[in-house]
Amino acid sequence: MKLLATYRALLVAQLQQAAQYRIQALLWMLFAIIRPVIFLAAWAAVASTQGGSVGGFSVGDFTTYFVCLTLVTHLTMAWNSHEFEFEIRQGRLSPKLLRPLHPLHYSIVDNAVFKLTTILPLSAVLVGVVLTFGARFDTQPFHVLLFVPSVFLAAELAFMFTWLIATLAFWVTRMRTANTLFMRASFIFAGQIAPISLVPDWLQAISYALPFWYMLGAPTEILRGSTTLTSSLLIIGAQAVWLGLTYVAFTFAWRSGLRQYSAVGA
Amino acid sequence: MTAPVVSVRDLKKIYRVHERETGLGATFRSLVKRRYKDVPAVAGIDFGIEPGEVVGFLGPNGAGKTTTLKMLSGLLFPTGGEAQVLGHVPWRREDRFLRRMTLLMGNRTQLVWDIPAADSFLVLKEIYAIGDAQYKGTLDELTELLELAPLLHKPVRQLSLGERMKVEFAAGLLHRPEVVFLDEPTLGLDVSMQARIRTFIRELNRRSGATILLTSHYMDDIVALCRRVIVIHHGRILYDGALADLAERMAPYKLVGATLRGGARDLSAYGQVVSDVGGQVKIRVPRAQAAETTARLVRDLGESLADLSLEDPPIEEVIDRVFSGEQLDGTGGQRELAGVAR
Amino acid sequence: MGRYLRIFRSFLSTEFQFEMEYRTNFFMGIFEMLLVVGTSLAAVLVIFSHTGSLNGWSLPQMVALTGVYYLVQGGVNIVFSPSFERLMEHVRQGTLDFTLLKPASAQFLVSTRHLSLVRVVDLFMGVGVMSAGLVMLGNSVTLGSVLVFLVTLVAGIACVYALLLTLVTLAFWFVRIENLLAIFWAFTDAGRFPIDVYPGWLRLTLATVVPIGIAVTVPAEAISGRLSPESLAAMLAGTIFSVVFATWFWRRGLKSYTGASA
Repeated sequence: MKLLATYRALLVAQLQQAAQYRIQALLWMLFAIIRPVIFLAAWAAVASTQGGSVGGFSVGDFTTYFVCLTLVTHLTMAWNSHEFEFEIRQGRLSPKLLRPLHPLHYSIVDNAVFKLTTILPLSAVLVGVVLTFGARFDTQPFHVLLFVPSVFLAAELAFMFTWLIATLAFWVTRMRTANTLFMRASFIFAGQIAPISLVPDWLQAISYALPFWYMLGAPTEILRGSTTLTSSLLIIGAQAVWLGLTYVAFTFAWRSGLRQYSAVGA
Repeated sequence: MTAPVVSVRDLKKIYRVHERETGLGATFRSLVKRRYKDVPAVAGIDFGIEPGEVVGFLGPNGAGKTTTLKMLSGLLFPTGGEAQVLGHVPWRREDRFLRRMTLLMGNRTQLVWDIPAADSFLVLKEIYAIGDAQYKGTLDELTELLELAPLLHKPVRQLSLGERMKVEFAAGLLHRPEVVFLDEPTLGLDVSMQARIRTFIRELNRRSGATILLTSHYMDDIVALCRRVIVIHHGRILYDGALADLAERMAPYKLVGATLRGGARDLSAYGQVVSDVGGQVKIRVPRAQAAETTARLVRDLGESLADLSLEDPPIEEVIDRVFSGEQLDGTGGQRELAGVAR
Repeated sequence: MGRYLRIFRSFLSTEFQFEMEYRTNFFMGIFEMLLVVGTSLAAVLVIFSHTGSLNGWSLPQMVALTGVYYLVQGGVNIVFSPSFERLMEHVRQGTLDFTLLKPASAQFLVSTRHLSLVRVVDLFMGVGVMSAGLVMLGNSVTLGSVLVFLVTLVAGIACVYALLLTLVTLAFWFVRIENLLAIFWAFTDAGRFPIDVYPGWLRLTLATVVPIGIAVTVPAEAISGRLSPESLAAMLAGTIFSVVFATWFWRRGLKSYTGASA
């Protein structure tokens, strides 16, 4: 109950910030939109030169995939850990540690507020794209039903995974390399380039084995209705497992990181 | 009669600020529509500064000191009025003007954090197009005066606040400015470092004849450096004149000090007793009655009066009272204050 | 002009000394860049595993274009991005005042003050990938096409510079704009494909408002011998216009910052 009240207060504070930086929030939204649109354009061009479809995908199918990908990218966006790295480098973490609330909670609220305040304009844009390009959905009711837990798990997974990477900041100063590694892995494995059925078999196998596709591609495939009921449930199961593993790893890394941090006496 | 270095006429600056509201509903409303209000920071001021003067600019936070300095250094456009510095209109920011002045801010640094100050200086040398010989001469002089030698080759982030301020001074003075604006140059420094910065400023004024306008929260800075002060409050000038006369103009009372022989006595009949320690009594009396009160004390106390003094209240106290808008004595203080405001 | 070269040389020398202290950064930079370029080429390969050409661009031409993409990014990343990142920090902390008080063009100072010499790696990587594409292409590269390529490359970088300057100028009105550069990078993503791939409205955007499209595509066309004189002329005209506009906007922003206009 106390946590709820805290969340409420944090929510109001963050909303006020959001009100101050409303233009910025809209600009950030572009992050979710631009890359999918770029690859949609490329695939649409390929599909047209190939006489309308590539590997069973028509322009409409590509549109559906990348529109769903945009929505999922937006809903699973995780950026808060970057501030953490900054704070730890500037030695500003200590005051936050003194408060009786794990720094994670500030991030959760911040993250949620951004998505709440931008989901409406984003949806408007996406509906526009769907109408212009004539997207074709195979989505069944069960897809929509299963999409909700899947996208939620994906967001949690991306959030926890970036925080796991951020804990590296306890030990190393140059975080750029770690972040680049994550972003490029996400680029190549998470389904940003193409629907997973279009990438070469070996890449497909790696993508299924690593956590990145479960942060982005997985809920996208469910939402556009390309999965069977069984495979949808399997995907959600895999997401849950990855989330559990990441959470355990984060807890461990956070504890030993804090020990390291206080040992240095920053 | 030389032309004044700084002349200011009816200078005004009005800020438009966004009003923030609290509460969930108001927050959502401000997502869509913002409300503004006008805040006058400087509400029409006039003054002039002669070459070589060191003038203290006094006022509480938000009085308009920094805004005025920024207008005089060309960083802000005024909302109205005129100003000339070295014959230039500062906010045109002509290179010829910028080469002749500097602005130093105690709480901000122009040095690059990660590289040694010496490297930043070389960049400044090129920007100000300072010749090699002059650069070397100036740097040597500043190095000696500020004892910079051990500091110049360390990355700036490794310097203490005081050390950084010294380096900051050097950076701002490399081009030998004729006018120096100092905004809180001793902010946050420890007492001994404050004293050294003060000595340096005095020396700078003596050696280079630079005209200096400085703001400070520390009255010690002002007392040590400035013979003339300008007091500003709510964007208006309350006082402009000699520091020595400030108390007389601003505080309509004096302090009478009496040293008593043979134990304590109650002197509250003569005025408000401010302190009474071991026979040393201080009484606050209205300025007009000061002479009469001392005479009465001599008459009434006779032999038991060992010593008698008449002094102005401490400058900090005077300033404090002016800014807190408190009545300066029991009667008619506000009227007095209004009288000096111009 | 000579004076500004001297100022720039002093920037270069201080930054060089600074970077020499952090040499490991250089090797990390190379590693990161290999990662980025490698994954980008992989994306191209994934697409070309389903087709022989992308709107008339063959695989070798696409590889050359990818090289140009990193060349443009490198050109921007060495000087302008680090300088503009600091600029926004200065606006936030109020230390921009010091720059404005310097007797030199404020636009020059804020655009070039900081350098990220590590990003020279981008240039090498870009040249490498582009050369690989040209070798695959097997065409002979003439001196003329190299010259046109260099002109269009510089013009392309100038276009991106103009956009960046316009974006950071917004910091005068919206204080927390530090992520604008990151958003710009999201946009630059579009440079990885030739501009004619995009639907009309997006193509127009990438040729005008966010000129990353022409900044990459036109030099790539020049070096792979498919540039038309009309595109060249249009690009040069556009470059001049955008730089002039950005300069005007910067001055406008500066005026607002100092309260010169209501």
